[in-house]
Amino acid sequence: MDREARVAWLVDHYQRPRHRGKLPDADARVPGGNPGCGDIITMYLKGQDGEDRVAAVSFEGVGCTLSQAAASILAERINRQQPTFAEVLDFSYEEMLDLLGRGIASSRPQCATLALGTLKGAVKTVEMNRKLRAAGRSDEEIRELRRAIAAQAEGTGLVIGEGAEQAATKPHIASM
Amino acid sequence: MPETLAPVADITARGYAHPEVLVSTEWVADHLKDPTVRLVESDEDVLLYETGHIAGAVKVDWVADLNDPLTRDYIDAPRFQRLLRAKGINDNTTIVFYGDKNNWWATYAFWVFRLFGLKNLRVLDGGRLRWVDEGRELVTQTPRYPEGNITISVRNDTGHRAFRDQVLEHVNRGKRLVDVRSPEEYRGERMHMPEYPNEGALRGGHVPGARSIPWGRAVSPETHTFRPASELRTIYQQENGLQPGDDVIVYCRIGERSSHTWFALTYLLGFESVRNYDGSWTEWGNLVRAPVEKP
Repeated sequence: MDREARVAWLVDHYQRPRHRGKLPDADARVPGGNPGCGDIITMYLKGQDGEDRVAAVSFEGVGCTLSQAAASILAERINRQQPTFAEVLDFSYEEMLDLLGRGIASSRPQCATLALGTLKGAVKTVEMNRKLRAAGRSDEEIRELRRAIAAQAEGTGLVIGEGAEQAATKPHIASM
Repeated sequence: MPETLAPVADITARGYAHPEVLVSTEWVADHLKDPTVRLVESDEDVLLYETGHIAGAVKVDWVADLNDPLTRDYIDAPRFQRLLRAKGINDNTTIVFYGDKNNWWATYAFWVFRLFGLKNLRVLDGGRLRWVDEGRELVTQTPRYPEGNITISVRNDTGHRAFRDQVLEHVNRGKRLVDVRSPEEYRGERMHMPEYPNEGALRGGHVPGARSIPWGRAVSPETHTFRPASELRTIYQQENGLQPGDDVIVYCRIGERSSHTWFALTYLLGFESVRNYDGSWTEWGNLVRAPVEKP
């Protein structure tokens, strides 16, 4: 795909996003934010029963063209391939830049990888919830551990998990 | 124009020191087919131009086009000349910048172009947002221009750009520094907020002695245009004690927001010596033994 075709493909995904909206029976709803740009992506993920594999994903979000196009492209790919959780976690940020096109995406890596980072957060959430429920943990204990996952994203420039929407929309970053 | 849109006062009536650097949406609309005018869109959103832009505008991206891909610096004169010629820019071209985020990147591009000595530069007051709010047309067709003939001799950073050693000298001599980031960033509070990234800086706070004047204060929120000179003087001079003859250094996180304040002080209020420290907090907040102040 040449640059012109790739730009058209990205803009098309931005203007006609695929798999956008809530997933009513999702196992996880995980927000992610990019405070530097004001982008927000919320990923919904449903796992297949009895298997560590994605059944469906969807997303909601606001933000720059690249961040929203990347979420749509990623959701389309994940729903088509229905990868295992391990395959999602192994899908690297570098591969995401390649998928979108380095000529465009590498100039805004945080925007380009926000959706993937958020999806990984959703996968970890579902994995953790399953393990914890099997171990008899309460929902409150599960929420605490979700916050721990969010803290792992510190230093990457992205905020995944609780607090992400507030962080990305704080006026002092996005508009001041 | 939508009836509910806040009206904008005439640029020449706002009392600016150099009103000629700003052009209105009407002026741009009247010059869309003027071959001596080149519109340049510079955005934070890397694909916003492709979703639609003012007819005839070319795109200049601050990362892909203006930054050196290896060293943290700007491209050199030969590459800059190639860039501008490829955009069909000639020696006599009037370049008009506009963009998203209230012209952050438009003024940033303006500032970089000034480093190369270009003078025939303008900014569309109100930026892309004002153009869109007025219901004016955007197109997706990318224009093609014949190769331009502009000649760029050298980049001169001395007049408008500051480096860390010069900032330290400013601190030691008690000269004027302006931190245009948010008050929370200025106070270093972001470093302590839970579940929040530090965006690469190891220390939070501000350069000692810097005044906190967030960049957005220079803009009227209703119109996205620059405030009149009288209001700008209230903010920068009366409230914060800056004077047009002061030697001022402005900074933010990477120099984009501070280029907006550099533009306002230099061209709208006529300050004689304002330099933009593009290393800004991503450099200062990581610099070993750099003095940091918290209120």
